[in-house]
Amino acid sequence: MIFILATVIFVVLRLLPGDPVTSALGPRGSPELKARMIDDLGLNDPLIVQYGRFLGDVARFDLGTALTEGRRPIADEMGERFPATLELVVPATVLALLIGLIPGTIAAHRRRQAPDYAIRLFSVIIYSIPVFWLGLMFQLIFSVKLGWLPVSGRIDAITGIGLERTTNILVIDSVLSGNWVAFRSVLIHLVLPVTTLGLVLSGVFVRLTRINVIETLQQDYITAARARGIKELVVVYGHALKNAMIPVVTLIGLQVAILLAGAVLTESVFSWPGMGRYLIDRILARDFTAVQSVVTMFAIFVAMISLAVDILYSLLDPRVRY
Amino acid sequence: MKRTTKWLVLLVVLSVLAAACGGDSSTTTVAAVDTPDTTAAAPTTTTGSTDTTVPAEPAGPKTIIIGTTDSIAGLDSADAYAIHDWELLRNIGEALLSFAPGTTDIVPGLASDYSVSDDGLVYTFNLRDDIFFGDGTELDANMYVDHLTRMLTLDGSGGVGGALGTPFIESYRAVDDRTVEITLKDAFGYFPQVVTGAPYMPMHPDFPLDALVEFPDAPVYGVGVWMITEYVPGEQTVLEPNPYYAGSAPAPKVDRIIIRYFNDAPTMAKAIETVKDGRGEIDIAWRTIGQPDLLAELEGVDGLTVGTVPGGGVRFMVINHQLAPTDNADVRKALAALVDRDEISDRVYAGTAEPLYSMIPVGFLGANEAFDDVFGAPDIPAAQAFLTAAGYSETNKLQLQVAYPPEHYGGTAADLIQLLSEQYEASGMIDVEIISQEWSTYIGAVIGGQDYAVSLLGWFFDYPDPDNYLAPFMNNGGLGTMITDPDTNEPIDADAQALMDLLVQAGTETDVDARAALYADLQEKFAENVTTLPLFFLPEHVVYWDYISADDAAATIESLNIGPTFDLHYELLDTSK
Repeated sequence: MIFILATVIFVVLRLLPGDPVTSALGPRGSPELKARMIDDLGLNDPLIVQYGRFLGDVARFDLGTALTEGRRPIADEMGERFPATLELVVPATVLALLIGLIPGTIAAHRRRQAPDYAIRLFSVIIYSIPVFWLGLMFQLIFSVKLGWLPVSGRIDAITGIGLERTTNILVIDSVLSGNWVAFRSVLIHLVLPVTTLGLVLSGVFVRLTRINVIETLQQDYITAARARGIKELVVVYGHALKNAMIPVVTLIGLQVAILLAGAVLTESVFSWPGMGRYLIDRILARDFTAVQSVVTMFAIFVAMISLAVDILYSLLDPRVRY
Repeated sequence: MKRTTKWLVLLVVLSVLAAACGGDSSTTTVAAVDTPDTTAAAPTTTTGSTDTTVPAEPAGPKTIIIGTTDSIAGLDSADAYAIHDWELLRNIGEALLSFAPGTTDIVPGLASDYSVSDDGLVYTFNLRDDIFFGDGTELDANMYVDHLTRMLTLDGSGGVGGALGTPFIESYRAVDDRTVEITLKDAFGYFPQVVTGAPYMPMHPDFPLDALVEFPDAPVYGVGVWMITEYVPGEQTVLEPNPYYAGSAPAPKVDRIIIRYFNDAPTMAKAIETVKDGRGEIDIAWRTIGQPDLLAELEGVDGLTVGTVPGGGVRFMVINHQLAPTDNADVRKALAALVDRDEISDRVYAGTAEPLYSMIPVGFLGANEAFDDVFGAPDIPAAQAFLTAAGYSETNKLQLQVAYPPEHYGGTAADLIQLLSEQYEASGMIDVEIISQEWSTYIGAVIGGQDYAVSLLGWFFDYPDPDNYLAPFMNNGGLGTMITDPDTNEPIDADAQALMDLLVQAGTETDVDARAALYADLQEKFAENVTTLPLFFLPEHVVYWDYISADDAAATIESLNIGPTFDLHYELLDTSK
């Protein structure tokens, strides 16, 4: 799968109009300079040579250097950007799960009662709200009007000075360095973007959980459990929810994979320096190396997440064996 | 999980949360840079009859946070070509000559003075005695010559050496420890303006002679007022004063400048509006917040000032002189006569764009309104007469393609082209077809001169001189005007020859008044020939809180001393918070 994707992205990028040198230089730069830069970047080599070089680099986990914006090693740029996306996506997914699983199960348990209607309404509304609109509303209310939370960034500008960035996941870095002021600032900066992303994601989890728990609650073993006098909460949350989790886990895997490629809109609204924005900038700049390397790395992540999801299946359902 | 393990996990989680919610019990480490101690003394208070000294919070470094939507593309002056990179380099470095804040007046920089040979070819710069990098390393003429070698030979990805070095410099040498002599290829009257640019700012001698260092490890030392002590691409850059600076710029009034990077203008606008503890999330928003609705919103906020910075980026239509139908002079004149710049400014930019009647914007030597003098646009009857002369009528309409890049000039570009098309079609003799093409393909097609008769382009100067607003559109194909041959630079006709002659004459003239007169003449001919079609320039805006002030070093206090050169001098800024 990774090989196929790497090949497809390599070909598609070459089919797109434009090149990184023209894009970067714009109206400036002599024809000689452009020709020399194209030559320096190896863009004059036959496509098969470029492709072989790309696959060789991928096999060695060498992501190469970007073709534009300072030509930094892509590994360095991903090292700065990817942890930021991870720091946003992981808590947002956890929040979406919390919001999705508990109300989803309550709605299933109280089917066709007031809580069910309320939760379903919430899930439809939250699912249909554009993430950038919700983010903007939160910014206007909690930042501009109330001044409670920051509008943008990962950490307060002054507090962030001198923070040792070991992992570039600032929650971890601030804990590792024992800098609790920074830790607090990082948490505060996470509130709005995580809530925005988590809420929007939660709508689909609510609906999926509800429908699967309803289905599970109609199974014979649930009737048997109730007949044995097992407490209703245990039946619903201990048995029904656990058995309804397989499609939810599948969805989590898919969502996390998509979000790791960049929660683009959320990152844009909150000026979050993550992968989404990076990838868009590089696509617009026709930075072949950066785009194909990043997409290939994502393919590897998606494969890893798929594996993790498969392992989770077997934990959730003992009948599943590989 | 065992019950004891669960309790242990709970305890750890609670401890972390408690720490997170706790007060400011720890201090943040700051960049370890050896700078003079500027911490204020702790004040004392006296209560009743008993003297009680209350230990006050030590005042932290006085800091100003500046927001921007720019990003760092590279910090090596031998390659940097982006506006924000130049701003940083101008603050951490110094060129041979400088501009007085807020103006285009040349003042001493690294060179305390300079002389020019009678033939205008040899410039001799006498360096100051006290030029130091942030780590105490002293700069001499030989080191400066090494820097010139780097800039001219490395000619990096931005081609800055190829644009601002090699076209001008024939040779250079260190005459002695404090004297640099530069011999030019021709007598360029505006060479003093050229040597104010970032390429003429020396990097630290640790920078290798044979390789560019676009993202050097911090601290990044220049010979200017500031040094970069820390930067995280995409997040922020931190600058502190260069303790060894002894030049003519005033000493910084704050201990630290932080540049904070934003993805877009709306988020930056909200950040400056967000106030906590009496201070904005950022103190200043500078570049690029030009969306009319945002400016209107910010102007309505108590305590915020929106300053307008004149000059800078212009927008114009490239008119291809070798491609039908704009190879016909009457067609070009008709297009020029139909443009209503005021309507464009009002309808597309809510009045924030300044109509431009020549390529040289207001504030620069020789700026005038040649297109207004020649065409008095909009003048529909005159345009119809030109079109009739070109053989077109209401039944035989001119079929015109107008091209633009939809993503490169912001969301207003589509509105601009739509309105421009309406203005052309108002003649009743033109049918417009709009072509949108993504930037990297578009710009190649514009410059190549093979595809578009009329296309939108923007321009920002490399050096603030009228030459840089005219020469690029005439020389070597003229960025798509094709009034000269891209390879040989030969003018295509007598009109183009006359323009080129005037350009050379004005460029080599050293007398300011004579230059201004030559540029006035050149602009009239430029307009008559409709070499390009200037539309408007977009002033930049700087937004800041009322606790921010600027040194009254220049007459542009409202724009924090940012003038037509777009230099924000951090050392002139102060804050009362």
